[in-house]
Order: sequence, then C-alpha cells, then structure tokens
Amino acid sequence: MIARRLLRALTTLLGTTLIIFILFRVVPADPAVSIAGPKADPETLAAIRKDLGLDDPLPVQYGRYLAGLVRGDLGRSYMTGQRVADVIAVRVPATALLAGVSLTLGFLAGLVVGIATAARRGSTIDVAVLLGTLVGLSLPTFWLGNLLIYEFSYRLKLLPLGGYGTVRHLVLPAATLAIVEFFFYARFVHTNVGGMLNSDYIRTARAKGSPPARVYFVHALRNALIPIVTLLGLDIAALMSGVVLTETVFNWPGLGRLAVQAVFDLDLPLVAGTVLFSAVLVLAANLVVDLVYVVIDPRVRHG
Amino acid sequence: MADELAGLGRSRPSRRLLTAGGVLVVVLGLAALAAPWLTPYDPDAIVVASYHGPLAPGGGHLLGTDTLGRDVWARLVYGARTSLFVGGLAMAVSLAIGMTAGVVAGYFGGVTDAAVMWVVDLFLTMPSLLLLIVLATVLPPSLLTIPLVIGAIGWTTFARTVRGEVLSLRERDYISAARALGAPDRRIILRHLLPGVLPGVVVLAALGMSGAIVVDAGLSYLGLGVPLPTPSWGRMVSDAQTYIAVAPWLMLAPGVAIALAVIGFNLIGYGLIDLIGRRNA
Repeated sequence: MIARRLLRALTTLLGTTLIIFILFRVVPADPAVSIAGPKADPETLAAIRKDLGLDDPLPVQYGRYLAGLVRGDLGRSYMTGQRVADVIAVRVPATALLAGVSLTLGFLAGLVVGIATAARRGSTIDVAVLLGTLVGLSLPTFWLGNLLIYEFSYRLKLLPLGGYGTVRHLVLPAATLAIVEFFFYARFVHTNVGGMLNSDYIRTARAKGSPPARVYFVHALRNALIPIVTLLGLDIAALMSGVVLTETVFNWPGLGRLAVQAVFDLDLPLVAGTVLFSAVLVLAANLVVDLVYVVIDPRVRHG
Repeated sequence: MADELAGLGRSRPSRRLLTAGGVLVVVLGLAALAAPWLTPYDPDAIVVASYHGPLAPGGGHLLGTDTLGRDVWARLVYGARTSLFVGGLAMAVSLAIGMTAGVVAGYFGGVTDAAVMWVVDLFLTMPSLLLLIVLATVLPPSLLTIPLVIGAIGWTTFARTVRGEVLSLRERDYISAARALGAPDRRIILRHLLPGVLPGVVVLAALGMSGAIVVDAGLSYLGLGVPLPTPSWGRMVSDAQTYIAVAPWLMLAPGVAIALAVIGFNLIGYGLIDLIGRRNA
C-alpha cells in the first residue's frame, strides 16, 4: 500500500513538472529580454537564447529541465544570476517559522474549542460556534492582517507593522494566519466530534462511568482524528495561499513574497522553482498524512 | 409525517440561514445593479476640488474620499458589480469543467476515472494562489481573463463531489433499468444522472461563489486582479494600506463588503446543505 502511494506521489510530481514547464513555455515574455533589458541589440538576445537553450525542440528542453531537477538544479534567477535552489533555501526558514507557529496555534486552539463545544449540540453555544466560524472564515486574510496592523501598530503602538527579525515581528503575521486556521479547525472539529458523540460506543463509555474529559478527548477524539488528519494534509496547500497574502501584508521575507516578487519581475526560473517547491511540500505532507493513518487507525493497518 | 412537519416548524435553522444569506445576496445584487442611482458620483472621477489627502466620511461623501480624491461609496457600490461578475463567471466556469469531469469520471469509471482523478490530484497539489498569480501575470489581465483563470483552477471540488454522487447513483436500480432498456450513455447521463446530482451542485455553486469572490479579492489585493481603473474591493484594501495611519476608514468599507458577500453566499450554501440533509434523513 505504501509502495503504491509512493508511486502515485511520484507520477503527480512528474505531472507538476510538466505543467510548470508548459506554463512557462507559453509565457509571451521573452526571457532573453528580461535578462538583457528591452534595449539590448538582436545579437545579444540571440546569444542569450542560445546560451539558455531556448532554440532547442521542446521535448529536449523538458528533458534537460527534468535532468536538472534530479540533480537538484532549479536553474538560475534571470534577475540576479543566483542559483534558484539557493535563493529558495534562504527564504524557507522565515516561511517555515510563520506557517509552523500559526498552524500549531490555530490547530490546537481550534481542536480545544471544537471539542469543548461539541457536546452542546443544538444549544445556543452550538449556534454561536457555527455562526462565529462562518463569519470568521469569511474575513479575507489580507484584510484581517491590516486590521491587526491598525490596532496594534498604529493605535496601541505595541508591535511593528511589518518586517522580520524578532519575536515582536512574528506576533501579528502569525496571529493573522492562526486566527484563520483557528476558525477552520474549530468548525470542523466541532461538527465531527459532535457527530461522534451520538454513537453507541460513546454511550457505553459514559455508562461505564468514564469522566467526561476522557470521553471527549480519548474516545470521541480518537475516532474523529481520521478526518481531522485528512483535513490537515489538504490544508497545507491552502496554508500556502494564506502565507503568500500574509507575507505580502507584513513584508515578511519568506517564500510567498519571493514568489510574488519573482512574478512581477517575470523571473521565470524563480517562479517555477517556488511553485515546484510548494507542490513538493504539499505532496510530502499528504504522504505523511497517509502514514499517520496507519498509526491512528488499526483498520488501515489490518485491513 | 405530521411529527416531521411539527419538528420543522419549531426550529428551522436551514430556513433561517437561507433567508439571511438570501437577503444579503439580494441586497448586494440590487446595490450592484442600481449603482448609478445609489450615488451621484462616477467611481473613477476625482470628485474633490483640490486635493488635501483623503476626506473623512460625511459632508456629501458617505464614506469619504480615497487616496486619489475619488468617492469611496461610489467605488464600493460599483465594486460590487466587479466582485459579483468575476465571482459568478469564475463559479460558472468551475461548474462547467468540474461537472463534466465528475460525471465522465464517475459514469465511465476505469481508466477514464483514474485519469481524471489524477488531474484533480495534480491541481490539488499545486499551490492554487501561486498558479493563479502566474496565470494572471502571463495572460493579459482583463475583466474576462481573471474569472476564467480563477474558474479554471477552482473546478476540482466540483469534480470530486459530482464524481462521488454519480458513483453512488450509478448503482441505483432506475439507472440499471435505463441501461437494460438500451438507453444510450448520453441519455442516461442527461436525463437520469444529472437531476440526481443537481442538489449537491447547487450547494457547491453557492460555496464556490464565495470562494471565487475571496480569491478575486486576494488577486486584486496583490495588484493582479481586474485592471485599473475598474473599481475592485481587493485593490481598495491595498490602496488603503498605504494610508492606514491617516485614513483608517478607507480600510473598513471594502473589507466589510468582501466579508458580507462571502458570508451571504456561505449562508445560502450551509442552509442548503442543512435542508438537503434533513430531507434525506
């Protein structure tokens, strides 16, 4: 089962490289022009094109692209000439920090609130959770970030309005993303654990006198964990989108801002590199999720 | 039966959600249609005699004027047109691609199904916002390309859901009967499968609409949405960010507008889910 899953991830990865390659072949902008500038003479442009291998047949170019990827070579940035892999590597820690902190906080808070409110089905709290998360999930990330900037940077002058370096810089962007993640998980956990609480085995656990906390966090949660873990895997892709916007709002020097800037510069190798890198992250996350299933669900292990 | 009706009468959360969402969406739609009657100002025109920074709300300008001296209320109501148009077209594109893919995959199964689901997986793996940014930069931005691009990327949810429903419907007796009678695939799909899939699709359409509005706003915020000077809520937020210290009110209006539109369509979606679940239960 694991071998089949790996094979599938590999074919998806191959498809991703093909899409990225096609996408950047249809770009009307001439890479030679973005390197040499609009005023370069035709000879220089032709030389650059030859140098980049842009005159070769497309399958040859794709083959060369793949061969490079296997060696870990993502090409060189048109703008700075640096290796794309190096440029990305420099930005990874900032994004990992932001995404890691906000996902952890948002997920845990959502888990706790979701479980704590799950027992109150049909009550005022139930309605409040559903409406609250509905509103919370409808707030655009970039707007939420700006509201926090206004309140905490301008009005209260507590925190910097953007930038990178200290814990104080991390608070607002991490809070923005964590709030979004919180609403997302609170709603999902609330609905899923709520459904579990009506089942027979929970009634059994209650009947034999298990304390409520044990019923919720051990019995109900364990069964609800499977869809929650699935969601966590899918959420990595969505989190990347949130990261792009949040990094832009707060001028956070991570992958998202790198990608946006590269798009504006038409720095194609850099854009292709960041897109591919995020795709690999999502694939890896989903593989991990599949492995986690084996651990938390005995039915997968023995079935 | 009587008990059921009594139960529905006592608490009708689905009905209430639908009503609230419907009211929000209708108000937004009317505001978009009636924009010229709701404001005397042209959304693109500079309406201040001499520019001394953004004007605060009041004094003939309900929500003040923006960083270029344009009327914020006018840009907001005309922006509703942009948002609803882009969201609606994007959702329709997603719906068309996703429904076709889902029906084909679910009905024919086998290799076709595997191929379609492989493409779906591919799209789910790629960071959608990054892809959108790339496409929005590559294609000439216009009021048509932006929704097309958003729709072409957001179809996977439709495909997965429709495929799932077709898979379960396919095994029903009435479909087997139609097949036994020698009905051609096209007829089975159009006459027998599609009506069964429709309720789920309507839910997805409502949720897809709110998703498309958010994505459009995000693209505009990044400066990659519909081109200037078309008023757009996302760009209003990014313009306001520069002036947040001197003119915080510029930030409030477009964000609230986006949130209300998204809440409206989400309420309709959740209301419908509740309604359908209740009927099937």
